[in-house]
Amino acid sequence: MRYGAGPEVLRDVTFVLESGSFTFLTGLSGAGKTTLLKLIYLGEPPSRGLITLFGHDMATARRGDFPAIRRRIGVVFQDFRLLPHLSAFDNVALPLKLAGRHEGDYEHDVEELLSWVGLGDRMHAKPATLSGGEQQRIAIARAVVARPDLLIADEPTGNVDAEIGGRLIRLFGELNRLGTTVLIATHDRALIESGRAKEMRLVDGRLVELRSAGRP
Amino acid sequence: MTRSFGRLVPREKGAAPLDLVIAVMAFLAALALGASMLAARASEGWRAGLADHVTVQILVPEQGDVNTVMANEVEAALVVLRATPGIGHAAPLSDKEMQALVEPWLGKGALVADLPLPRLIDGSIVPGAAVDMSSLAARLKQAAPDAELDDHSHWIARLSTLADSIQWSALGVLVLIAIATASTVAFATRAGLEAQHEMVALLHQMGAHALFIARAFERHYALATLGASLAGASIAATLFALAGGLEFAGIEPVPFLPPIALKLSELAWLVAVPIVATAIAWITARLSVLAAVREIY
Repeated sequence: MRYGAGPEVLRDVTFVLESGSFTFLTGLSGAGKTTLLKLIYLGEPPSRGLITLFGHDMATARRGDFPAIRRRIGVVFQDFRLLPHLSAFDNVALPLKLAGRHEGDYEHDVEELLSWVGLGDRMHAKPATLSGGEQQRIAIARAVVARPDLLIADEPTGNVDAEIGGRLIRLFGELNRLGTTVLIATHDRALIESGRAKEMRLVDGRLVELRSAGRP
Repeated sequence: MTRSFGRLVPREKGAAPLDLVIAVMAFLAALALGASMLAARASEGWRAGLADHVTVQILVPEQGDVNTVMANEVEAALVVLRATPGIGHAAPLSDKEMQALVEPWLGKGALVADLPLPRLIDGSIVPGAAVDMSSLAARLKQAAPDAELDDHSHWIARLSTLADSIQWSALGVLVLIAIATASTVAFATRAGLEAQHEMVALLHQMGAHALFIARAFERHYALATLGASLAGASIAATLFALAGGLEFAGIEPVPFLPPIALKLSELAWLVAVPIVATAIAWITARLSVLAAVREIY
């Protein structure tokens, strides 16, 4: 994978994320973690190579099938990408709205999830009035609220303290137990060591599988 | 209690000047549309006013008793006119009316009354009737040798040219303003969308269908344009209504020009301005969003 005429960021990367698995993606800054995640969540097309998602070969899949595939993936972006004019509640509810659910149906779920991530009393707040950690938790709640088949998180605990970080990982673990495949890119060794999840390490754009394990 | 979902597309910072531009363009478009309707009505009025009248002029004879000869010729011409199918009414202008006609050039006084003025007969043509003017002129000449028929064709031709020029000019101005308004609305919509590109990309990434995104944006821009253009067109309609009110009260808002009041049915046409502007914003937003989404992977 390369951006334009730039150097190759990823090469010879071949792996399978088993359905229901929990995997950490590690590597130094600039190793290509975010690029790899982008390829998986269909944020960038690969310059070469094959990506298969939920049985669809993305090179031959129809563009019309992409939205449905994307809705099966929850993404926690490194820069959160919250909509600044919407409240915390509306940001979290966005995937459910896109899935065509009525507001009355998901109100309780969204409120419960916001309470779980410790933002029950900030659900009407706009992102600009929230701290970086609070924004990150909203981004995480938004990624998991629709119970996606695949959850991809880019440094999801980078801005929160250890207690909240532990709580978020338990949330990911809970989701994983319900069947969601989880892939988390992180530098946080403590987080990686806290469970028995599989770890894949990127070194110079190549993937090195370090540890195969069960769930955290 | 159901919580209402916040507005998906926010109002951009700096949208107010664009709204103002759209309102001004809608105002000008409504004025141009009203003016073109007035021009059309006025030119039709001019044409009709002349086309359904004929004038017979009995020139001052060179020999004989002027008054007797002219009175006989007036009578003879009236007989011919009244016997002509298609002529509805024919009557000579009185001395008072004749003096009133020349008064702007010669003034009042005994001198005017003493001047040998030709006699004029005003005839009206039944609407829709076809009168053979050359045959009528010949018969008039036979009955009254000093009679000359003026069917106003010369003036009608010149006024028609003038009316056509005014009508086409008004239409041209209307088309130019309509193009400028359409371009402004399209530009404002595109500029707004440019500022929202991140949001379009995020919704796309989250699996929103292109049409879902397009609908959110087109609704936003259509409503904004509807509000602005409605304000502009309403001000123009109010001005026309005000002019109508003044004319109704006997005050001429613009002297020498035909009435500038629009009829109710013509005022209703001004509604087309916000409708068309809104449709343009709607279509531009949809096409722009669909194009933007197509460019994203």
